[in-house]
Amino acid sequence: MKVFLFHLMPYAHLDMGYAGKYRAAWVVLPNTYFDPKKGHELYNRYLDELELAAELGFDGVSVNEHHQNAYGLMPSPIVMAAALSRRVTQAKIAILGSAFCLRQHPLNIAEEHAMIDCITGGRLISGMVRGIGAEYFSTGANPAFSHARFQEAHDLVVQAWTRPGPFAFEGKFYHFDYVNMWPRPYQQPHPPIWAPSTGSVETIEWAAHPARKYTYLQAYSPTQSVVRYLNYYRECAQRMYGYRASSDQIGWSTPVYVSDTDQKAREEAKPHIECLFNRLLRLPFEMLFPPGYLSAKSLKNMRSHKRSVSGQEHTLDSLIEQGIIVCGSPETVRKQFMDTHRLLGFQNLLCLLQFGTLPRDLTEKNIRLFAREVMPALQELTDKEYAGQALHAAE
Amino acid sequence: MQNALLEVRGCKVNLRRMGKGEPLLLLHGAQGLNGEDPGLDALAKHFDVIAPDHPGFGRSEDSELVDDARDLALFYLDLLDALNLDRVHVVGLCIGGWVALEMAVTSSARFNSLVLVNSAGIRLKGVPRADMFVCSEDDLLKLLFARPSAADWLKRWRATPELEDIYDRNRAAAAKLSWSPRLCNPKLDRWLHRIDVPTHIVWGEENRLIPPAYAQALKDLIVGSTVATVPGCAHLLHIEAPNLFAEQVSRFIQRVTS
Repeated sequence: MKVFLFHLMPYAHLDMGYAGKYRAAWVVLPNTYFDPKKGHELYNRYLDELELAAELGFDGVSVNEHHQNAYGLMPSPIVMAAALSRRVTQAKIAILGSAFCLRQHPLNIAEEHAMIDCITGGRLISGMVRGIGAEYFSTGANPAFSHARFQEAHDLVVQAWTRPGPFAFEGKFYHFDYVNMWPRPYQQPHPPIWAPSTGSVETIEWAAHPARKYTYLQAYSPTQSVVRYLNYYRECAQRMYGYRASSDQIGWSTPVYVSDTDQKAREEAKPHIECLFNRLLRLPFEMLFPPGYLSAKSLKNMRSHKRSVSGQEHTLDSLIEQGIIVCGSPETVRKQFMDTHRLLGFQNLLCLLQFGTLPRDLTEKNIRLFAREVMPALQELTDKEYAGQALHAAE
Repeated sequence: MQNALLEVRGCKVNLRRMGKGEPLLLLHGAQGLNGEDPGLDALAKHFDVIAPDHPGFGRSEDSELVDDARDLALFYLDLLDALNLDRVHVVGLCIGGWVALEMAVTSSARFNSLVLVNSAGIRLKGVPRADMFVCSEDDLLKLLFARPSAADWLKRWRATPELEDIYDRNRAAAAKLSWSPRLCNPKLDRWLHRIDVPTHIVWGEENRLIPPAYAQALKDLIVGSTVATVPGCAHLLHIEAPNLFAEQVSRFIQRVTS
């Protein structure tokens, strides 16, 4: 298994009293809440944490894109990947992902990905995402065209990375007379493409298609959803497309906190993880799902599920119980990952080891303890330990 | 009332048709029509009212030809051809007003007259508008209505599963047409001088989605147009004050055609 440290780079100094005045930590939260001096400290601290992980033997470090919010300070994950690209000398650098389709000119991001791939000698993983609903308010991109633009931006970028230029691209949303990318990506035909999602049948069917076979990453989900969607990827490959998906094609992304004992881990993580879910992820239904962002069917499911994601207050206990986070002693955490791996066989694990307001000292302790006590056992895991493999073999 | 599907450029459009008189094309707004629209009934006492669901809204199919208000305007010129209607009165509400403006600058020859009710379409710099997409449902109701008719209106949308679906469908279709730039074509004001048919502008005095300053701006841009501001009404004034709405339309049309 490949183990990554994933960072969101939250604005940890946010005055949490904002919640009495504003509906969300996104879109409408005034940027006067952001202090650039604290931002300077945070960016450098967070980059230190990613670099530390690379030194400690993580297989990769990972960043992502969100706009106009306090939850994640990376409107351009490429800036962070670039900052890492000269210090992180062995590990992969995973941008999970870039929202190509939010842009009028997706080629500019494709160029930057290619640059980082060249600088790192082919250690880039390129994630492609639609962006969450709030992003469509912040960037002005039309949510009603989100799916179609995502597909077309993907096609444009992959062609730009792989086809000899110059050529013309004639799409519905994108029109370019000269696609002729300098530099071309280091990896041939192109960097691995990953598709992170919080659970979307459409995304899984798209990612699993034999022409793509992109790694699907399930993020922020209760165990039952992780099980459902990761298994759906394998089923989809088998039933819809008639091939057997490799375990490298699936991954799980989750917040993790490790301390000496279960009790201590819970005590230390509690305020910081609850801040992440109850304050930084505070998003009303209308912002999370702008009209047209979801298909009619998905919207209906979502509505019947819950009218407001922010409506529910999470507690550490409920998050652990649902399997949304993994928290405990090294033994507890190791066992939980090994058990889940036996069940699902994912070969990629992204651990969010800093979350919410988790301070520098606890974050570093978490990273070091995880790297020393948990990670080595996970990195040993292969399909041999995956129970589903034995099932397939028996068939 | 007659409800029929009319095929226009490969898209089946749900068309309500009611009343007798000169043909009047009613173009609905972002919220669509939910089958209980007393303002339309009141209009039908004077006119042959033709009220389609825009492609993607209500019970009309989606059309690959229609991505924005400009496309929709051209689509409706095709629809007039399909109905063999040479000239019509056009009443446009909100987004429907925007579509009517795009039609009129393209070919005012198809218009007998134009009534704009709380119309989208232009952008007045520096005049803040509320956002119908970002707000909660409660706040949206406060934006759409000045009077306490909001709860009844929403209840009608919740009456059947089909109407509930249509409510969501209309929101998505409205976003498709008007998300960015929000509710306007920033270049439309350059061409409104081309509108050479009698035009009347009706506005809810308490409209915060598109404030009454827009009524004045449209009046200044459309030569010879008149404005009526309706107190105690907001964005959906045709629902809040259906008779007053119908009266504004029919009196204006009587005046300009007599």
